[in-house]
Amino acid sequence: MQLTLENVRKEYGETVALGGRDGSGGRSGVDLDVEDGEFFTLVGPSGCGKTTTLRLVAGFETPSTGSIRFGGREMRGVPPEERDVGVVFQNYALFPHLSVAENVAYGLRFSDPPGGESREGRVASLLELVDLPDAGGRNPTELSGGQQQRIALARALAPGPDLLLLDEPMSALDARLRERLRLQVKEIQSTLGITTLYVTHDQEEALAISDRVAVMNDGAVEQVGTPQAVYRRPETRFVAEFVGDNNVFEGRVVSSRAADEFEESRDSVAVEGKSPVETKGSEWQGERDRTADRPQRVELDVGGAAVTIVTENAVETDDRVAFCVRPEQMRVLASGSEERDSEPSGSELMDGESSRSRTGTETNVLDATVSGTEFLGESTRTYLRWNGRELTVRSTNPLSGEVRIGFDATAAHVVDLERGE
Amino acid sequence: METVNAVLRTAFSRLEAHALTLGTAATALVLVVVFYYPVATVFVDAVVVDGQVTIAPLVSVLTSRFYLVDIFGFTAYQALLSTIASVLLGLPGAWLLARFEFPGRETLRSLTILPFVMPSIMVAIGFVATFGQNGTLNAVLGALGLPTVDLLFTIEAIVIAHAFYNAPLVARVTTAAWESVDASAVETARSLGASPVRAFRDVVLPQLLPAIAIGATLTFVFTFASFPIVLALGGFQLATVEVFIYSRIQNLAYAEAAALAVVETAISLGLTYLYLRYEGRQRASGQGAQPQPRRSLWPESTSVRSLGTRIGIVAYALVVLAVFVGPIASMVLTSLTGPQGGLTLDHYLFLLERQQTGASYQVRPLPAIENSLLFGVGTLLVALPMGVVMAVLTTRQFRGRAIVDALSMAPLAVSGIVVGLGLLRGLVFGIEVFGTRVQVTGALAVVAAHAVGAYPFVTRNVAPLLGNLDPRLVESARSLGASRVRALVDIELPLVAAGVVAGAAFAFAISIGEFDSTVVLAEGSTSYTMPVAVERYLGRRLGPATAMGCVLLAVTSLSFVIIERFGGRYGGRGGF
Amino acid sequence: MKRRAFLRAAGAGGIAGLAGCAGGDGGTTETTTEGTTEDTSETSTGTATGTAGGEVPELVVATYGPFVDAPSSSPGASIKETFESEFDATLRYATPDSEINYFIERALRGVDIDADVYVGLNVDMLIRIDEQLDEGLFTPVNGLSRGGDVKESLSFDPKGRTIPYDTSYVSIVYNETLGDNGAYSAPETFDELLDPAYEGDLLAQNPTASATGKSFLLHTIKAKGADGYLDYWKQLQDNGVRILSDWSSSYTAYSNEEAPMVVSYSTDQVYAQRSGEDLAKHQIRFLNDQGYAYPEGMALFEGTDTPELARSFLDFMLRPDVQGEIAQRNVAFPATTTAELPASFSEYAQAPPEAVTFTYDALRDNVSEWTQAWERQFASK
Repeated sequence: MQLTLENVRKEYGETVALGGRDGSGGRSGVDLDVEDGEFFTLVGPSGCGKTTTLRLVAGFETPSTGSIRFGGREMRGVPPEERDVGVVFQNYALFPHLSVAENVAYGLRFSDPPGGESREGRVASLLELVDLPDAGGRNPTELSGGQQQRIALARALAPGPDLLLLDEPMSALDARLRERLRLQVKEIQSTLGITTLYVTHDQEEALAISDRVAVMNDGAVEQVGTPQAVYRRPETRFVAEFVGDNNVFEGRVVSSRAADEFEESRDSVAVEGKSPVETKGSEWQGERDRTADRPQRVELDVGGAAVTIVTENAVETDDRVAFCVRPEQMRVLASGSEERDSEPSGSELMDGESSRSRTGTETNVLDATVSGTEFLGESTRTYLRWNGRELTVRSTNPLSGEVRIGFDATAAHVVDLERGE
Repeated sequence: METVNAVLRTAFSRLEAHALTLGTAATALVLVVVFYYPVATVFVDAVVVDGQVTIAPLVSVLTSRFYLVDIFGFTAYQALLSTIASVLLGLPGAWLLARFEFPGRETLRSLTILPFVMPSIMVAIGFVATFGQNGTLNAVLGALGLPTVDLLFTIEAIVIAHAFYNAPLVARVTTAAWESVDASAVETARSLGASPVRAFRDVVLPQLLPAIAIGATLTFVFTFASFPIVLALGGFQLATVEVFIYSRIQNLAYAEAAALAVVETAISLGLTYLYLRYEGRQRASGQGAQPQPRRSLWPESTSVRSLGTRIGIVAYALVVLAVFVGPIASMVLTSLTGPQGGLTLDHYLFLLERQQTGASYQVRPLPAIENSLLFGVGTLLVALPMGVVMAVLTTRQFRGRAIVDALSMAPLAVSGIVVGLGLLRGLVFGIEVFGTRVQVTGALAVVAAHAVGAYPFVTRNVAPLLGNLDPRLVESARSLGASRVRALVDIELPLVAAGVVAGAAFAFAISIGEFDSTVVLAEGSTSYTMPVAVERYLGRRLGPATAMGCVLLAVTSLSFVIIERFGGRYGGRGGF
Repeated sequence: MKRRAFLRAAGAGGIAGLAGCAGGDGGTTETTTEGTTEDTSETSTGTATGTAGGEVPELVVATYGPFVDAPSSSPGASIKETFESEFDATLRYATPDSEINYFIERALRGVDIDADVYVGLNVDMLIRIDEQLDEGLFTPVNGLSRGGDVKESLSFDPKGRTIPYDTSYVSIVYNETLGDNGAYSAPETFDELLDPAYEGDLLAQNPTASATGKSFLLHTIKAKGADGYLDYWKQLQDNGVRILSDWSSSYTAYSNEEAPMVVSYSTDQVYAQRSGEDLAKHQIRFLNDQGYAYPEGMALFEGTDTPELARSFLDFMLRPDVQGEIAQRNVAFPATTTAELPASFSEYAQAPPEAVTFTYDALRDNVSEWTQAWERQFASK
């Protein structure tokens, strides 16, 4: 079952729960296309409109404007009970006065089990499916949270819905259980091949489980794509910061030219301490899709430090530009207290300078101060202060004191500065 | 055949899909026909005199020092005192019923509503016999060598009588709330170092407050419009506004009566509105899954604290004995007392004789019992859906919700005398529709009128519990294929069974006790009820009326126990 | 069936849609057609007297509940029995809870009245009727064969619509056993009632809603004058008089010996004697040697469809034997000079040396003013 949302907006009086403003300040709605059999996730911080979207799809709420279609059929005016959707909530919402089996069988009061199965058989096979074959006679309150959630899933699936809607189903569970359960959910989903709309605030969960994700913020969809695409090529500053750890820089374009002209401009280095020119960057807005003909080598003034990046986005001198560098793209070049994490290729360079690395790309060098570390097991996440902002790097060993780090000009990914703020 | 079935099924599911809308429309229709329209026929007299629109009657009431200060002022004052007394007397009862286990607890809880159905004539008789100069209380005090008290014809007598009626109401609604306080919250507070008193104040009390507030609000509304009991026990120096409304209607001074009634209703509804706004803000989080365990009434240990508790309980039991058991026992005694003071069954024999030889135009006991039960059950069956529909409606959030809610409570706030006159004008006389006079009288009209007076109790008992239910339960059910009304019946109602049963009991009680509408609508038919019979049998001697009153008490006591037992089964599992 | 017969007899227009209310005991919804009021008399006389099926004509007597259904005794049953046995008619009682107001309401709202006779009118009701209705609810009755038997002093309707059928006298009833040495004695006069010795001793009733209460108030006005009664009541209030809602609640309190005196009827001992009570507890006192007369009357509804039968009924009510019956069963004094009463009746039913009352005209002009002034003084303390 294909699910389509077209220009969907939801307002409660003055409050806009879903939908944003388009480029010219007018009202805009949300567009989404979920393919048949797809595991599609809405991810975003609380209040971003993801749950509202799910509730609109389920029919618990009516869109203020726009159209929701199931396999091409317009759903406006169709009550929830006629939509053939299965819904699983964060708090399970099992019926406390009914037994587990009665809960699972509840939907079968209103429709015959799919595939000519008997009601009892259907209940049994679903309990089997969620790996709780013996729970039927028990009271929901006797079960653990994870077990209750599996029952809720079984209940939602029992009538054989066209669409499975899961609203933060794992949020109330502890981390370990969450990981185990999400694997199980994914497995069941791919076995049944049921189109699934999954809502979560947990980007890691979204990346782990989905075929595609839509990152939402402030009532609008910021980006739709595969987990890989969203992670690697965030389109907006919001997506860059929300999905995974990231270091986002903001600076003013000092110069830009085609990457192959790079050699000649080596001498243009930003002067330490010189404050960047204040620009509003308004001309850049709405032009992010316009790419240059070929990669540009762009020199930026980031809070007084000179940084060079290579990008395909078209930028002009004095534009304000945001770009991001994943922590794993940051290398520790020199550390005051610990042995080096990687070879000291740029150690002779000054902070804010860049050099060509051995790989043939230019490396930006930043001298920063460690402000904190988190031991993650296989690596350590280190928080740094550089030039008045916080950066994150990953290293195999803990760091402290002053460190020199570097990233390649090509590792930087330019994001939309204005959207999502 | 197949197609017929399919068509029928489609039609049925259509109907089911719109059942709530239809229910709301039906409720609104009943309200308009047997309440709003009839009352409007009276209220219009406050603004239309001799065919001219005028505000003179209202102005004359609102500018009268006598009415505004002396009468409305005193009415509000006694209502306030009565409310405080009812809450003070009701809360310990709720505590006992909710927190202690003892034999007969459930029966006692069922019977708490009993005072609600007592005709005021009976209460007056019971109170005079208990609290009079020569009453039981003074006899006991005298025997104990204590000074006697002179309670009759004072405001204290009125306040105690109002507490007699309304403390059980406070106790009943608070008990339900107390039983749904989650034990784990209390345990958490205790584990954090809170003393039992502190845990009560910080954890339990906030969850009881909405229930106490509804009990207090209803008590105020009732006692604000209290009528016969005030003059019977207090005297004319303590006249309330309802006394004047009655006398003005009696003398056909409709403009003044209507103006007084409009002001009275406005005050009552205004207060109800304030309460409802408060209730709207109080929607607590989730229902208590695990009620606190009850303690045994008989102490296992003899600590100072438990001893103190038990002394408190004994003291409370003595007060209950005086205020509730005393008057009822006096009434029973009166029904068994002969003219020379000896015991006799004569008065019950009178009932038997009246039953056997009473003429068709006379009131006989058996039809009164039958009618009361019939109307009671009918009211229950009509008021339950009405109240539940209104509860569902008012737990939704929408602009003006509190106003709709307050209007739905209006049947409690409008003077019974005004409603009676309105029913006479609106239903008994009928209205002309296309040259045809449409009248609504007899049994069906009585049930409808009772249901209108009763359904706010269902709503008020059910709405807070419904509001506390997780809305995702209904959403889950609906996405599984249940219509809104199926979700209500399958999921919500079983989970709020405690409130539904309490509402049903109140609905039944309201119907049994109702007098004003019944006498008007039962006119010219044999639809009289037990309170009507009590009133008819009241003569110079109190015996026949009290005997009928005792029959009323016995019949309704039994009914309450049955309702709660039956309702308890409906609740099924889930901790109810 | 009865209802159907009644509806037909009741006249006031053609009747349609009866199928809906065939259930005899108070059909739920009935529909009658309006708009043929002008041919009332024709239709009704035709129906009532000349029914082809030979149905017995029905006389609808509207009255107050206790007249037909009191726990002690009421005259209703024997009147019906005797009347039906002597006249070829059925007597049906209607006892609306709001009594005469019910019929005034009907008339005010233009709804037809189905009763022929009203039994139980007093002067207050007449004043109310005349204030509310431009046209008469009742029609004057002249030329009753026994009209001359009625005591002149009891007539209270200057327009001649109402025929008195009995009267009571409002007096003090007191309990002799409650005084020192069991010899309580009520005061003889209104002035003595203010004596501190009688402080808190008297129970009376709300004059705006109770017949005895109103009679007692009017009696004080008779005694103290329209200028003096408020002042008198001020002193009475200071002396602890208790004004309760109605006769019943005050009598309940009296029976429980809350106070030794109650405003009630001078026939009190008749009941006490019947039920074997101690007569010492039911002594009668006429203050100032006066009793306030409370005559009850009957009248003919203007819209009656059986005027002849109704007139026969009024005459019947004045018959010596029926008057005696009413007096004994309603425990009141007969209205006629010719009533047949057993000697024992006057033994316990005490009549005052002097009966006092206000005329219709005096009351019409003053009574609401008097009671409201009293109300405002008394209720606001």
